[in-house]
Amino acid sequence: MPKLTIDGHEVEVAAGTNLIEAARAAGVAIPYFCYHPYLTVVGQCRICMVEIAGQPRLALGCATPAADGMVVKVETSERAREAREAVMEFLLANHPLDCPVCDQAGECLLQDHSMREQGSEFATHMTETRRTFPGYERRLIGPHVVQNQNRCIHCSRCIRFTREISGTAALTYKSRGNSTFIDTFDGSAFDDPMSACAADVCPVGALTVREFRFRKRSWKLLSTPSVCPGCSIGCNIFIDHHERVVYRFTPRENPAINATWLCDHGRFLAEPLNEQAYLDPQHRTGGQTIRVGWGEALAGIAAELKDASGLRVVASANLSNEELFLARELFGRHLKGEIAVPVAPGEPRKMRNGKGEWLHATDPHANSAGARRLGLDLVDGEGLSRFLYGGAGLTLILDPGAHPFLASPEALQLLRVGTTVVWARREHPAAHAATWLLPTPSLAGNEGTFTSSAGAVQRFAQAFAAPGTVHRTATGAMSPSCPTIAVPWGPPGEARPLWLTLAALARELGVPPLDLASPADVFALMARKDKAFAGLAWETLGGLQQDESFRERQHVG
Amino acid sequence: MSTRPIVAASPEALQIVTFDATMEARIAELLPRYPTRRAAILPLLWLCQERFGWISPGVVRAVAARLGESPAFVEGVVSFYTMYQTAPPARYVLQVCTTISCAWCGGRELVAHLKERLGISFGEKTPDGVFQLVGVQCLGACGQAPVIQINDDYYENLDIAKLDAILDELAGRS
Ligand code: SF4
Ligand code: FES
Ligand code: FES
Repeated sequence: MPKLTIDGHEVEVAAGTNLIEAARAAGVAIPYFCYHPYLTVVGQCRICMVEIAGQPRLALGCATPAADGMVVKVETSERAREAREAVMEFLLANHPLDCPVCDQAGECLLQDHSMREQGSEFATHMTETRRTFPGYERRLIGPHVVQNQNRCIHCSRCIRFTREISGTAALTYKSRGNSTFIDTFDGSAFDDPMSACAADVCPVGALTVREFRFRKRSWKLLSTPSVCPGCSIGCNIFIDHHERVVYRFTPRENPAINATWLCDHGRFLAEPLNEQAYLDPQHRTGGQTIRVGWGEALAGIAAELKDASGLRVVASANLSNEELFLARELFGRHLKGEIAVPVAPGEPRKMRNGKGEWLHATDPHANSAGARRLGLDLVDGEGLSRFLYGGAGLTLILDPGAHPFLASPEALQLLRVGTTVVWARREHPAAHAATWLLPTPSLAGNEGTFTSSAGAVQRFAQAFAAPGTVHRTATGAMSPSCPTIAVPWGPPGEARPLWLTLAALARELGVPPLDLASPADVFALMARKDKAFAGLAWETLGGLQQDESFRERQHVG
Repeated sequence: MSTRPIVAASPEALQIVTFDATMEARIAELLPRYPTRRAAILPLLWLCQERFGWISPGVVRAVAARLGESPAFVEGVVSFYTMYQTAPPARYVLQVCTTISCAWCGGRELVAHLKERLGISFGEKTPDGVFQLVGVQCLGACGQAPVIQINDDYYENLDIAKLDAILDELAGRS
């Protein structure tokens, strides 16, 4: 393991580590634009030049491996500083400098470096006018990516992403020299299944995500670590939100699962998190639906549970481990009800991990593995229909989105027969068949863990509190021309996470061990009781440990 | 004069997805000379230009498939070089050297004359599709400046009279 000194800080790093990463470990920031930790090193932008004692020429921080005894100067080298200055002059010679109207501002490597090192002292020898790419300033190159070629610094990160990660090699340089620009084949759509990652890796505002641009300045956003709900692979994400509105998912680094990538399918599940159709508990009696308080609803449901002749619970593979565990303990163990977890077939999904291996999934649920480990019965559509035909005095639907069958006329007819309690967030026909309806928040308002198909138990944190004011999108859809506007929907609502209502029901029903105060407490009990979770501790669960935002990593400052 | 006209842009070029036996035979001869298939991209494109007259999107697709590369990559390579025709070319492509030795020895006058006589500028074709004017950098024949390359042949030590004679001859043949 080489030991070296960078700007006076001693650091020991693994063999093969480049100077940028070694400096990062030493707390020194070597600026970079073309380097990316998960792409090949090309040494194209030249901003990472550093001085190495005993070497006459400056060296590239990205392309130089750390060596034992090396003495590296970054901030402390006048020569390196001058070289960086010259590189910036070149890069900015043709850059439009349109930060005020550029949506990358705030998360732009070029802007960050310019602010950090140049401040307002920017000098140029240029007398010519800037090179521009008329017609390429606002070009939709695919369903999700908008190109502004004038801003491109020709780092080739986007090209390398499509060649090395998504594997489509759909982006390329065209033409040469000063006129080089980024394009697809013959003007075809850039419909790479991970296309928005090309915008993620673009260090400047040359490629931006259509759905997000101009909706929120990046510095306003809070990033909450979470897990993608899109399939069983369990990619790590940040939920970027502001004032209780979710604006986007961004990848959170996890070398074992998604490195720093997300597929477009998962990424664009962000916007629907803002939908909140139900805000208050509702009770239907004598053909009338009335809004009720949580106290009344919980007492009413507890009474139904006590008197029920037969209890059937349709759980869901979209629920957290904690919620599935509480449901199993309360409804299965204590109330002797039957529980089924319906699983639906999904589209094939794939993700490239940090070692370059593909992970595959056809399971559209985030937590089938958790349900299986908890010993719950996983059923397909047919099994679910049999389960519901089995009949029961009381049926609980913990998540109407668990399976498409729950929206079928057949299922609705069955649900109308007895008493039905439904937990729901989005508009769903099953909610109309409910005797009791309890509003739940989205993933952003919940907290817990999912078990990935590979067996990783991963925590997701709560982005904003529930109960509380819930926002709903005005349009329900995202489009650059019609930005989503957050409007309070009715009076302050009180959507409560399922685990919270289950704990409250445990209290009503006199099952004190399950009357727990937080998902962490539920997890602790689960880890004590269940072999599948034995030895795991909430605080050290994968996911939140490497909480450091990748955007911090990406950023120079 | 020996200059052969360029193969007229073949309509095949628009839809071609695979190569015929003759092309395959030539490709089979070509590939072993390179360490990787990717390395053979320039000569293979050259073969295609000889055969189809230009590098159409269809040709790009076929080359990409043959080399195991993406069409975007191949198109990127094509766009880097001026000698690949990315639109149906004229029969005679006049590649006029615009670099310093030629420019000093009368090249600038040749360019002015060509533009006037043909009524086109760099990058354009005459309406009858006979001539195409391209400005290029040093052709590596500075000793014989000024130089014009027409299709595959060099015409050296030119002046306006010689050039006119050449153009008359080529135009007459068309
Ligand atoms: S578009 Fe962005 S990522 Fe691609 S080369 Fe230009 S600056 Fe780099
Ligand atoms: S040359 Fe090293 S980061 Fe670009
Ligand atoms: S300058 Fe014209 S051939 Fe060299």
